[in-house]
Amino acid sequence: MTALLNVRDLSKRFGGLQAVKDVSFSLAPGTITGVLGPNGAGKTTLFNLLTGFIGFDSGSVEFDGRSIARLAPHQIVNRGLSRTFQLARPFMGMTVRENVEVACLAPRVRHRGTPRARAQALLEQVGLGAKAEQLVDVLPYGDLRRLEIARALATNPQLLLLDEPFAGLGGSEIEPLANLIKSLHRSERLTILIIEHKLREFMQLVSEVIAMDFGEVVAIGPPAMIVRHPRVVEAYIGTAAIERTAQPAEDGLGAL
Amino acid sequence: MAILLIDWVGAVLALLVLAAAPLALGSSYIIGVLTVALCFGIWAASWDFMSGLTGRENFGHSLFIGAGAYAAGFLNVTFGLSPWWSLLAAPLVAVFFSILMGFPTLRLKGPYFALAMLSGAAVMQNLTIIFSEYTGGQDGLNGLEPLLDPPLAQYYFTLACLALTALVLKFIANSPWGTILRAIRGDEASCQAAGINVTFYKIASLMISAAFAGVGAALYAHYQLQVGPDLFAVVLSINIIIMVYVGGMGSIYGPIGGAVLLNVLTEVLRGFSEYRLWVYTLVLIFIVFFMPQGLVAPLWRRIRAVTR
Repeated sequence: MTALLNVRDLSKRFGGLQAVKDVSFSLAPGTITGVLGPNGAGKTTLFNLLTGFIGFDSGSVEFDGRSIARLAPHQIVNRGLSRTFQLARPFMGMTVRENVEVACLAPRVRHRGTPRARAQALLEQVGLGAKAEQLVDVLPYGDLRRLEIARALATNPQLLLLDEPFAGLGGSEIEPLANLIKSLHRSERLTILIIEHKLREFMQLVSEVIAMDFGEVVAIGPPAMIVRHPRVVEAYIGTAAIERTAQPAEDGLGAL
Repeated sequence: MAILLIDWVGAVLALLVLAAAPLALGSSYIIGVLTVALCFGIWAASWDFMSGLTGRENFGHSLFIGAGAYAAGFLNVTFGLSPWWSLLAAPLVAVFFSILMGFPTLRLKGPYFALAMLSGAAVMQNLTIIFSEYTGGQDGLNGLEPLLDPPLAQYYFTLACLALTALVLKFIANSPWGTILRAIRGDEASCQAAGINVTFYKIASLMISAAFAGVGAALYAHYQLQVGPDLFAVVLSINIIIMVYVGGMGSIYGPIGGAVLLNVLTEVLRGFSEYRLWVYTLVLIFIVFFMPQGLVAPLWRRIRAVTR
């Protein structure tokens, strides 16, 4: 099967910092892949490069058989590659439904029925149907995460990039969201690339993991292999494990 | 926000009050004050369409006003064309300036747009002085013809133009286009992530804003029968922004109300002679302190909620 996304030797330097260095990987259609790495590993920068928010220095990105290098973010979305942000970024002062309606107005999906009805249907799908007419300003954080996903889905993506969808969520909110992502993957036949820290959710969700450190890919493989990979243990788990002996487990690392 | 029956009733009532005011109050002086107030109404509404909805504040709306007014002046005085051509030429020239300013600055984040508009207007004001052999320098261009002869006729024509401006801008603001503009105000990056070409919408909105500012400028020029460098002045832009704030930003109709109120207030306060600006400023401070959302639009929303 040909890859949906093909990334070759992608590099980006910010002044003296090599944020992303020679990153190569490809995503098969219909898979859920994780991006793992400690803070500053270049995960979010990688997302920004793939989605056109930041231009890259060298390398190539092919999506659905065509290069998306040097396209503007909105053009990439209209090719079928959408993203969410690490910190939910809703349109303040607008209702929940209007927030999704904006994405229904993207050229790629503009003619698929009325934006209003589509937005409502998407909100039902992510479990926010009852809150459609609320101002987004008063929405709790967990709902904002779902809103982000609904907004990304509104553009009818082939590939969905989720930047830490579980960040800042309480324990009881994580599992329903993971289930939502799984069900979307099945029902929409989405290919998903997901950044995550919390390993437990990761292990359940993804079939393959791209482990990064200092801007480089250190290992690619199934999650069970990745958590035992020496470079990953050294980069991501090693130092934390040492801290853990001095301090009880916190965050997702406790799940290891 | 959907337009309800009550909104149409309110709009028609406001129109009737404005139409009856010169008949009831009579004097040609009052007609003049009200004509100017209506021009400011067009300017405030056009400012609000771009800046109120997208949140990208334009500190040089007078650039479009001055450009439109001088276009009217040149065509009518220098080339002797009929004043009606101004209604076409003024918006065209204003739109030309909006493209000139919008393309380089609206693609950037940060304060570049506000600063560029501010300095663009200041530069043009100085150019009218430098090229005084064409522009008449400080005196400006004099001897423009009125559009319609009895001033009352011109007043009603201006009122019709204002009503049309409000209708068109409100219609666009309530369409998907307006939803996108408000989303840009909320978060530009999210808007791009939603597949929206943010730069296109900002520039196109500035062009629409400039076009209506130009129409207002032509009406103003052919009422005052004179155009001068003050039409490019920063203080004119600031006055328009104050009117928008007093009216209620982002509502289109609010700023029109704000413009009419503040113009009338200025005249009412003439009785205070030298204390006029004191009182005017105190009123503004009072509004900003106790009604930070403005006066007209929040008031109307309350009326709406009650009658629902």
